[in-house]
Amino acid sequence: MDGHSTTAPTAIEKIIAFVDERVGLKKIQAKMLNEPVPGGSRWAYVFGSCLLFIFIMQAVTGILLMFYYVPSADHAYASTQYIIHEVDYGWFLLSYHFWGSTAMVVMVFAHMSQVFLWGAYKKPREMIWLAGLALFGIVMAFGFTGYLLPWDQRAYWATTVGVEIMDKTPVVGDFLARFLKGGPTPGQMTLSRFFVIHVMVLPATLMGLAGLHIFLFRKAGPAGPFRGSDEELKAKTDYFFPRQIWKDIVAMGAVFATICSLAFIEPVVLLEEATPDPGEYHPEPEWYFLFLFQLLRLKMFAGEFGQFLGAIALPGLFMALLAALPFIDRSPERNIFKRPVALVGWILVMIGILVFTVSAIINREFLD
Amino acid sequence: MNQPKLKSKVACTDREIGEVTRVIVDPLSLEISHIVVGNGATSPERQVPMARVQEVTDALVRLRIHSAEMDQLPALKRDDFVTIHDVEIAHLEEKVHVESGEVLVPVPELEKDVKRRTFFANFTQAIGLVIGLPLAFPVLKYLMKPMYAPLDNAWLKVGNVGKIKADDVGVQFKYKKKVKEAFMPEAEVEKNVWILKAKPETLDKIYHGKDMEFRDASGRHIWTNKKDVPFVVYSGKCPHLGCGFKWRSHKVLGQVFLCPCHLSIYDQTGKVLDGPAPRALDPLPIKISASGDIQIIDMEFKAGTKTQTRIV
Repeated sequence: MDGHSTTAPTAIEKIIAFVDERVGLKKIQAKMLNEPVPGGSRWAYVFGSCLLFIFIMQAVTGILLMFYYVPSADHAYASTQYIIHEVDYGWFLLSYHFWGSTAMVVMVFAHMSQVFLWGAYKKPREMIWLAGLALFGIVMAFGFTGYLLPWDQRAYWATTVGVEIMDKTPVVGDFLARFLKGGPTPGQMTLSRFFVIHVMVLPATLMGLAGLHIFLFRKAGPAGPFRGSDEELKAKTDYFFPRQIWKDIVAMGAVFATICSLAFIEPVVLLEEATPDPGEYHPEPEWYFLFLFQLLRLKMFAGEFGQFLGAIALPGLFMALLAALPFIDRSPERNIFKRPVALVGWILVMIGILVFTVSAIINREFLD
Repeated sequence: MNQPKLKSKVACTDREIGEVTRVIVDPLSLEISHIVVGNGATSPERQVPMARVQEVTDALVRLRIHSAEMDQLPALKRDDFVTIHDVEIAHLEEKVHVESGEVLVPVPELEKDVKRRTFFANFTQAIGLVIGLPLAFPVLKYLMKPMYAPLDNAWLKVGNVGKIKADDVGVQFKYKKKVKEAFMPEAEVEKNVWILKAKPETLDKIYHGKDMEFRDASGRHIWTNKKDVPFVVYSGKCPHLGCGFKWRSHKVLGQVFLCPCHLSIYDQTGKVLDGPAPRALDPLPIKISASGDIQIIDMEFKAGTKTQTRIV
């Protein structure tokens, strides 16, 4: 309390003081907000906060969807249609959740790129990077498991092909595929499993890992810009609050507005109910998996071994390379313009993803 | 140089002028940038840059300046600073040791001379294992319950050969299969196969002059497709990654089976013409009645493998 104040504290102030004495809220708040950001706040640092915001909104909309959704093979589709067509604003919450998942993937991508280009994965931040990679895996698993839940044709076929791909993992593939499907083919057991993984296992894991990620980040402190002398950095340094939080909240507002707009412009529309007969439907994964989908069409990934190479070995190696990155790249140089291999590598990966995604889209018209 | 300690005496070149009341830390380099010197009297506390410190010993901080110069150093403006309790600076406590002495707390009497600390620690782990291990197997079995269903060799009626109008043309037959999954009510799922009325030369390419035998995993005979029956049935599941393929006309290859997923292309004999598929289409057991009704055994094989592995 303010010792110089002569007026008696109000009831609210007394309650706050009571709680603060027992919880230490003011100290926690001060510790959370007063973190020095070397070189000052920047728009480039907003992605992590945006991810947290998107996740919270996914949790909120996800919980709301569960008020009506029934995870059973004979009701999943009907209950999802009910949410879309009957429940007030159901279409909006479902579409928000759908576009939120896309925003999550895009933002993970931006966040990882920023950390990579700024060299912020380097010593002493290796563990933050590793926890982040695990979180990347969790986000992908969220997308994959959530995709099945509406139980329409799109859902069914993405899962069928996705699980067949996991089946190609050496040694454990068959067990893994059967474990996920709860049998030899997708059905009720698959839906039950994907549901519990999507709404319980993954959120719990994500919260734990995100907590660890942020704890490690606060422990190491922010990396700051990759160039500038100590004096320059010191002169520009400010606390997390208010300038960085201001930038974060503006970015969150923009993300929210974008997701809402997409939900309005392109609301979720279900296809026919899931069946093992694809009919006229041409199965295709969500757009952020299109490059991988197109990759598997290549002749060089044909045949049993080729498929293992394209679907398991190549993505596996890429993830392993990312995990090993801070241990391979031990030079303390963080300036991306002085790290030609990293810069060229990043550009090549971007071009590769872009080319394969575009060619998958071009390929569509040859199928009709 | 040692770090100056709180409460250390501070001396100028001529005389002692007070003690270290606080230190100021640079939040980025984590180095002590200034000491704050006060004498408890009326004159304000002064900020002395570390550059002005000549030597730090256990009890004394010796400055390079004359006591007369002290007045020219800036007075401490307390409001320009926060304490390290109000801000989170990583690794600060590892770098800065300015306490004037250790703060001690007595060890409880019962904790003195405990001999079996390691034993107790290990015992705690062992009890954890005793709780966890017996659960592992039941939990695994619990989750594995539906994973391995027995294979079903029942014949299913899928339609009549009257639907097939031309030779060597893939015709899709849709049928409903009854499934009873765990606790669920019996349901019908839509499935489909592709049936071909093959010309003799096509038939020869499929059968290579031999009947096609179907056996279960233990080698027990299930059925034989005779090489002279012109009707051939292919499982509707693409052997690449399990999508559903179609009968389509291709600009170069003519009439083919084409999978829209990863663009595997098969000819009417099921052979891979193009695309990533690792093996030919999977023929199934087929039986034609005198009235032309077609019956099949609904089999599914694992996709993406060179050899067939039956899973349904």
